Amino acid sequence: MNKILLIIQREYLSRVKKKSFIIMTFLTPLLIAGVYGLIGYFTYKGIKDTHDSVAVVSNNKTLTEQLQTDKNISYTYLNSDLEKAKKTLNKSDYDYVLYLPEFSLEEPKGIELFGAKQAGLSLNKRIASDIEELIRNQKLKQSGISQSDLDKLKTDVDITTKKIAETGDEQESSAGASSFIAFTAGILMFMFIMLYGVQVMRGVIEEKTSRIIEVMVSSVKPFQLMMGKIIGIALVGLTQFMLWIVLTLTISTAVVSIFVGKEDIKKISANTQVQGQIAQANPSMAAATTQAGPIGDIQKSLAGLDVGKIVCVFIFFFLGGYLFYSALYAAIGSAVDSETETQQFMMPVMMPLLLGYALSLSVVTNDPYGSTAFWLSMIPFTSPIAMVVRIPYGVANWELSLSMIILVLGFIGTVWMAGRIYRVGILMYGKKTTFKEMFKWFTYKN
Amino acid sequence: MLSVRNIVKQYATHRALDNVSLEVEKGKIFGLLGPNGAGKTSLIRIITQITAPDSGDVFLNGERLNTKHISQIGYLPEERGLYKKMEIGEQVLYLSKLKGLHSSEATKRIRYWFEKLEMKDWWNKKVEDLSKGMQQKVQFVATVLHQPELIILDEPFSGFDPVNADIIKNEILELNKNGATFIFSTHRMESVEELCDNIALINKSQKILDGAVDDIKASYRSNTYWVEYEGNYTLSNNEVFQVLQTEVVKEHTLVKLKLQENRTANEALIQLLPHVNIHRLDEVIPTMNDIFIEKVKGQNHE
Repeated sequence: MNKILLIIQREYLSRVKKKSFIIMTFLTPLLIAGVYGLIGYFTYKGIKDTHDSVAVVSNNKTLTEQLQTDKNISYTYLNSDLEKAKKTLNKSDYDYVLYLPEFSLEEPKGIELFGAKQAGLSLNKRIASDIEELIRNQKLKQSGISQSDLDKLKTDVDITTKKIAETGDEQESSAGASSFIAFTAGILMFMFIMLYGVQVMRGVIEEKTSRIIEVMVSSVKPFQLMMGKIIGIALVGLTQFMLWIVLTLTISTAVVSIFVGKEDIKKISANTQVQGQIAQANPSMAAATTQAGPIGDIQKSLAGLDVGKIVCVFIFFFLGGYLFYSALYAAIGSAVDSETETQQFMMPVMMPLLLGYALSLSVVTNDPYGSTAFWLSMIPFTSPIAMVVRIPYGVANWELSLSMIILVLGFIGTVWMAGRIYRVGILMYGKKTTFKEMFKWFTYKN
Repeated sequence: MLSVRNIVKQYATHRALDNVSLEVEKGKIFGLLGPNGAGKTSLIRIITQITAPDSGDVFLNGERLNTKHISQIGYLPEERGLYKKMEIGEQVLYLSKLKGLHSSEATKRIRYWFEKLEMKDWWNKKVEDLSKGMQQKVQFVATVLHQPELIILDEPFSGFDPVNADIIKNEILELNKNGATFIFSTHRMESVEELCDNIALINKSQKILDGAVDDIKASYRSNTYWVEYEGNYTLSNNEVFQVLQTEVVKEHTLVKLKLQENRTANEALIQLLPHVNIHRLDEVIPTMNDIFIEKVKGQNHE
């Protein structure tokens, strides 16, 4: 036991002390926070700064109302004719000239927009939707609805989703927040298992190619060496994960408060509501505005999600999934002489993980309670990813326990199997290994 | 001290060791010889508990081999290496701690050995910055640091320049004088004759020869002698000896004689003395190399 501890210690320290680990650990949250900060900043800036002034030349007598100026667009009605307005456009303060000819409400035709620069898609749609609103109001008025009734027509609907827990308690939840967390957790899990599984493999190959392995196995059992390496690297992973969480939270908070003051956050959400209408007709803007949506949602409904449980489940399934896969990686590493030879063995190990990843982020997020989701979160090859994707939506305790038990049995199985291949593989040099060969090793007695 | 009894080791279709037994006495240097693939490494791996035999037993000091013995054995494998990115001092410390040594004791001993083998400044160097010979020295230190009773060296001199090989040879002899038992696995027969007290020869998974080096050589005596005398008197076969070869070098004649059965060198001399002035009489003793080749070739022809 003492020997395993020594091995764990060496595997852990030799990795944590590496420059690349320190750089990765501190740079990654900065990068993540930086990217989010930039997205937030530009989204905010985009909303704030987009301002077009449009000169309107109207020959239209049908529309009684005028286009309404707001933060992002200002309409100025000119009294000159179109030709003159077009000629003076470049010298004027206006960006565009909008021409509204006389048209029937049924068939509004001949509307034109002139500009020194090509009007963007979003501006085009924005103006179109403004005009459409004018026409709709005009039509409503014609059918005898008064202005005051018109104003009353606007209602904001906000659905609060609540989930009834097994205990009967109602929990406020948010589809947005859940899927955001599910995605993040799924991607993180995939990354972690891959990253650290491959590190185990590399470690084994390194010991084999540097020929230290034979010196090592004369002091410790191959199984101890393998487990020491696997556990040591798992601790590196956990350390990195913890540091990332702490650092990301600190830095994100810092970045957000630097780029976007608290006042501004309020403004953004105000803007979001104002623009809700536009967003419907305007996909690109909608994308931008929903950016602010889930983040706001997450803050609001984090209380509804059991964050502690999610983190615990994540850590459990990270460890379980990592142990499950890293044992396989260790077996691969022991069977080859160099990293270039790993290809043929990597594929069968990678496939279920990739499949689990792809299905989890598509099928499972769409239908977290369906049978696909259920089976994916039970089979130990895919359960680490599928379960962390499902967990924010809520998973019955019996399902969670069952999946955990299967995963534990699964990794005991792979560790045992890998141990049998490993002990033979590490002492084989210069031979090209096949699956058949590996199976033979598996059946060897001690 | 070490007793290997009826070891059998089977790998799928290949039998690596077939009923091999041998005894290594305490304080001796034992040579384990054999061509490539004969099963030497398999046997060593069983003694170092890297693998277990299918049948048969190994006893160390009368006790069946168990995990406790790991700290009493030092093993320098033929395929050996070190962690490339680790510092030398740290690395040797790690390896000796795995053998059950305490940190402080290990540090003390490493300093002693580093001083002794002129490696003092190496503590903080990384393995990748050392030459192959230097790495070999580090590995040797790591092998003997925990003061094992039994030290197994697989081709210990490969990769050493003559100067360092000599240093290591002297260290081996000194450790041996202080009571350590050695097992040498090697192809280099000159080092066998120089160092080993006893040998075992393994070929095709079986032990085909073992015993004290002197006894083995004695048993391979062919009753052949070189005789050198003045003048060019010609000898011919008689009832005492047979003439195998005659060479004339300047004033002297060299003759290779093979004694007839149950005849002694003295009888041959009696035959010669009346005729010639004898300068020299040497028995032709086969080298370990000759014996090795003869034995292995002989078996392979069967």
